Amino acid sequence: MELMRDLLDKQVFDRRRVKIGKVDGVVAELRRGKPPRIVAIELGSITLARRLGARPGEWMAQLATRVGGKRHAEPHRIAWKKAQDNGLDIECDIEVGETSIFAWQDWLRDHVIGRIPGA
Amino acid sequence: MKKLLEISLGVVTSVGGFLEVGSMATAAQAGAAFGFQLIWAIVLGTICIIFLVEMAGRFAAMSHHTISEGIRERFGFNVFLWPLLVVLLVNFMVLSAEIGGVAIALELATGIGFQWWALPVALLAWLLLWKGTFGFIEKGVSVLGLVTLCFVVGSVMLKPDWTAVAGGAVPSLPAHDAINYWFMASSILGASISPYLFMFYSSGAIEDKWDESHLGANRAIAGLGMTFGGTISIGVLIVAALVLATRGIDQVDDYHQLPLMLIPIFGFWGFVLFVASLAIACFGAALEVGLQQAYLVAQGFGWTWGEDRKPRDDPGFSAVYTASLFLAAIPIVLGLDPLRLTIFSMAVTAASLPLTVVPFLFLLNDERYVGEHRNGIISNAAVIFIIALAFVLAVVTIPLQIFGGT
Repeated sequence: MELMRDLLDKQVFDRRRVKIGKVDGVVAELRRGKPPRIVAIELGSITLARRLGARPGEWMAQLATRVGGKRHAEPHRIAWKKAQDNGLDIECDIEVGETSIFAWQDWLRDHVIGRIPGA
Repeated sequence: MKKLLEISLGVVTSVGGFLEVGSMATAAQAGAAFGFQLIWAIVLGTICIIFLVEMAGRFAAMSHHTISEGIRERFGFNVFLWPLLVVLLVNFMVLSAEIGGVAIALELATGIGFQWWALPVALLAWLLLWKGTFGFIEKGVSVLGLVTLCFVVGSVMLKPDWTAVAGGAVPSLPAHDAINYWFMASSILGASISPYLFMFYSSGAIEDKWDESHLGANRAIAGLGMTFGGTISIGVLIVAALVLATRGIDQVDDYHQLPLMLIPIFGFWGFVLFVASLAIACFGAALEVGLQQAYLVAQGFGWTWGEDRKPRDDPGFSAVYTASLFLAAIPIVLGLDPLRLTIFSMAVTAASLPLTVVPFLFLLNDERYVGEHRNGIISNAAVIFIIALAFVLAVVTIPLQIFGGT
């Protein structure tokens, strides 16, 4: 597998085939004398902002903490052992409802979209 | 039989997508100012969009990914950010122009100023997206869009010199107003080769659950649908050339001049047909562009999306089209001239094309996405030609706009 080609930016699904985001970042562990090993994938705006530069990353982390609280101060991580490469997409053995990945979508539903008639 | 029905529906749908305020306004302006001479630009634009739409549909049918998803996944976030921001901005202007087009039609029909109509139009479009399904939006509105065939009927009834019409299909140098001529040529190309059209088409293929068995239908729909759309645009141009130009209007700079086009042919009904065509074509396009904004963002960031879901099931997606529609109504509410906005947004579309057409060369040759149905020599030659054309347009359109725009 080539990390940049086959993993980064790919679509991520959860166990129930819900689209939960893209692989915004990859976390690898450097090991002495051995090749590095992937330990997790990251999702979310903080990781994306970090890809644009260190400073945008800091700003986004501050913003996320201010808006979402401490729970959102770090990017969402999914352990690599829960992930499976399905060709074009990545499927993870998690349920998005058990993570805080869709917390903002839930907030949007509860406070805005869900309050509009017919939603 | 089922396939045939599917193809005909698809053709009707893509006609609905093709014809919008941009193609109508640019074709009318070109016909009034240069007679049949710019027909070639519509023909060229139509051929380009046939190829792009076919590829967008094939990509979606084979990979179950849309073009926007492909750009993000294949090129990475840092590259995707550019087409994302530029297309969002261009689509914002186009959406505003479409809302303006409907608003002008309503002004022509009622006498109440167009500014007052922008918010009701946006509200109605939003309501349809909020409550409607993809099939409803796709089919319902585009069937109504067949009213625009009145331009084709009208152009035949005017008995144009068909040799001269055919002559216009061959590019030629202008005898006067060279800068304006080339500006119009590039706006026509921008109006025909709309990124929202092929991006929307690939999302539609996913919404309609296309797979490999749809490749034949896709080819027929792309070819026939876009050809029909182009034919209607040529109809608009012919009618404008024969009606407006002979009545001393060689500069269409006001929407109020446009209903004149069909009146000599159909009398009072010509006015009604024009207003209905403008309203329906623009409204259909507004629905598609509004939806496309949401597709683009949701697909780029990997959220759940789909027009058949309830808004509460994909809040991010529905929030984007809601915001897009109402924001796009604002410039019209503030009284920005819809015709000028239309012409400007077509030029900006043309200038933005490289960002959206270059990815086709890579995506449609990537086996992991399209398997054995990669581009052949002809499709690749077409993409390379379109990319070259896109770069020329990107460089020349804005200077032409400044020096020769209306």
